[in-house]
Amino acid sequence: MARRELIAGPNFSGRSAALRARLDAARQPSFFIGPYAEAALSGLSSTVTDEIAIYRATGTPVRRTAFTPLDFAGCGARKPQTLSGGEQVLLALHCFSQSAFGAIAIDTALEQLDAAHRNAALDFVNRSDERGCDVALIDNRLTRPPHDWSVTTLAAETPAFACDPAGFVANVEPRRARSLTIRGLDFRYPNGADVFRGVELTLEPGQAYRLFGANGAGKTTLLKLLVGVLAPSRGTLLLDGVDYAPWRHGNAAFALATQNPDHQWCGATLREDIARRRAGLGRRREIVFPSDQRLTEGANKLGITAFDQHLYELPLAARKRLSWLWPLSGVMPWLMFDEPTIGQDGETRAQLAAALTQLGGLGHGVVFVTHDDDFACRVPHRVLSIADQGITAGRGG
Amino acid sequence: MTPNGAALFALIVVIGAVAASSLAGLAILAGLLAAMAAFEVRERAHRALLRAVMVVLPLAAFMALVWVGIVGRSAAEIAAGTPGTRQAAALYVGFICLRLLLVVLAIQLVVLRFDRLTPLQFVCALRLPIMAKRLLVLTLSLIETLRHAIDRARTALVAAGLVTRRPSLRNVTTGWVLVQTVWLTAVTIVVGRMRDKWPAEQTLALLDDTLDAGEPLPLSTDDRIWLPVALSATLVVLGAG
Repeated sequence: MARRELIAGPNFSGRSAALRARLDAARQPSFFIGPYAEAALSGLSSTVTDEIAIYRATGTPVRRTAFTPLDFAGCGARKPQTLSGGEQVLLALHCFSQSAFGAIAIDTALEQLDAAHRNAALDFVNRSDERGCDVALIDNRLTRPPHDWSVTTLAAETPAFACDPAGFVANVEPRRARSLTIRGLDFRYPNGADVFRGVELTLEPGQAYRLFGANGAGKTTLLKLLVGVLAPSRGTLLLDGVDYAPWRHGNAAFALATQNPDHQWCGATLREDIARRRAGLGRRREIVFPSDQRLTEGANKLGITAFDQHLYELPLAARKRLSWLWPLSGVMPWLMFDEPTIGQDGETRAQLAAALTQLGGLGHGVVFVTHDDDFACRVPHRVLSIADQGITAGRGG
Repeated sequence: MTPNGAALFALIVVIGAVAASSLAGLAILAGLLAAMAAFEVRERAHRALLRAVMVVLPLAAFMALVWVGIVGRSAAEIAAGTPGTRQAAALYVGFICLRLLLVVLAIQLVVLRFDRLTPLQFVCALRLPIMAKRLLVLTLSLIETLRHAIDRARTALVAAGLVTRRPSLRNVTTGWVLVQTVWLTAVTIVVGRMRDKWPAEQTLALLDDTLDAGEPLPLSTDDRIWLPVALSATLVVLGAG
């Protein structure tokens, strides 16, 4: 009978190291899906079709049925890195289902999936037993694994990167952000289908909004439009009724914590990152840049004390926490968090939820993307549903 | 044409373009490429030309600035120790750029001719040792990684207000930060891949299996027409030199 194991425990208890130890001890190569794209996909392919071809078993017969939650044939010509984070995880699982690997290790990657895809993925790995396939899984949201799984619970021996985001936010000054109106917004990627068509939306400050939708619906794309990384093909943004075009004049209103924390560093160390942000935004009169002391305190509250340490030397979960520094500091009126809870244990998620709630109460506008319903329930919010190229404001959650 | 035939055709043209020492020689190769474009690539050929021009244009502008604007003499005149003219320098720049244009155009025509194949399918179809195929795939992978790193770094810096999406004076002064961030990002992507994913899966061994699968197609009738024509043209170019 195949072995299926959930490696549980808080952050920094050595779960990823334990997972790697199991991979090293395995007598044969194992399929690995890490938390972000560079450890989920092979990095050897220029198209989705090629990614699948690399893993498709050529000699050994595959005993498992294909896991095909998306139309991979239809997007075969797309570059794998242009897929959304969740779609990349689904592609990796599809590749595994086509391969001859006898074991799979997944490090928090399933936390990026929407509810339907997450259930399908968990069901797929759970049925690995029928195919004699070993599974090792780390997942912060899976508190109760299926009954016949073994659970190894690790404990953090010494407290590391102790995190108190709510304590950090307690010192943020109140401010009233301007209301955000989106009028007739259209967007499509070059050579791609429409992502948004005629979006009409008004968001009021002093309130948290949960951006909700299936993997690949366009949640991250909307955040990129708001910070000016992408430009809409049609439509306007208004702040308190005044035209605002960050894609033309630069971003001055939205602080973004990206899904993958490594997508937002502006320097090799935290000191360099802060100095460059100060240089970039300091010239804007509408932005009140926090003092170095304030940011130092904030980083300490997020568990980071070494300002001159190379950012990539920090564990991924610590980098994720540090990615909240910018929006939590309240430097900009609108604060956006893209999947902030990925890779974070239950205690940290609860603390972050408290921090977001406080920020809304201080007059900021807060937009967060998450597939974690338990986390979302802790933050009073209104739902913004993305589906069929539109965004609908729903009731509170 | 088959991928092997097209790759050989491009190789012969590149050798001819690099070896050509007269405008007449380059004109012969340009004619050969025009014929190949008309018969094999057809209406999409203008895209190949456009891409080649886009690649060569910045270099042409830079060379013109240096050789015509600053140096004011051609390389041959410098070697001979004669005073020289800007006209000769302009001719020299034009010749080098035309040669480069033909090299890039030959490659682009092959890329467009087989744009229905994925890069991996094209490499698999080549009659090359596994090591050479693996090097080709890794080179393409590195190019994709760099493009991805550029996208990631740009996202970070635009969101932080350090650079703007559109060309601006700010981008000129902070462009070095973008370059530094791109390299840092690329290195961390590659390190992450090589530390976690590849050792666990032995992904490169999987790639070798994929590259080794299937027999490359033999040369087609079209190949047997195009290759002698290309070889003859190149011999004429070499003879003319």
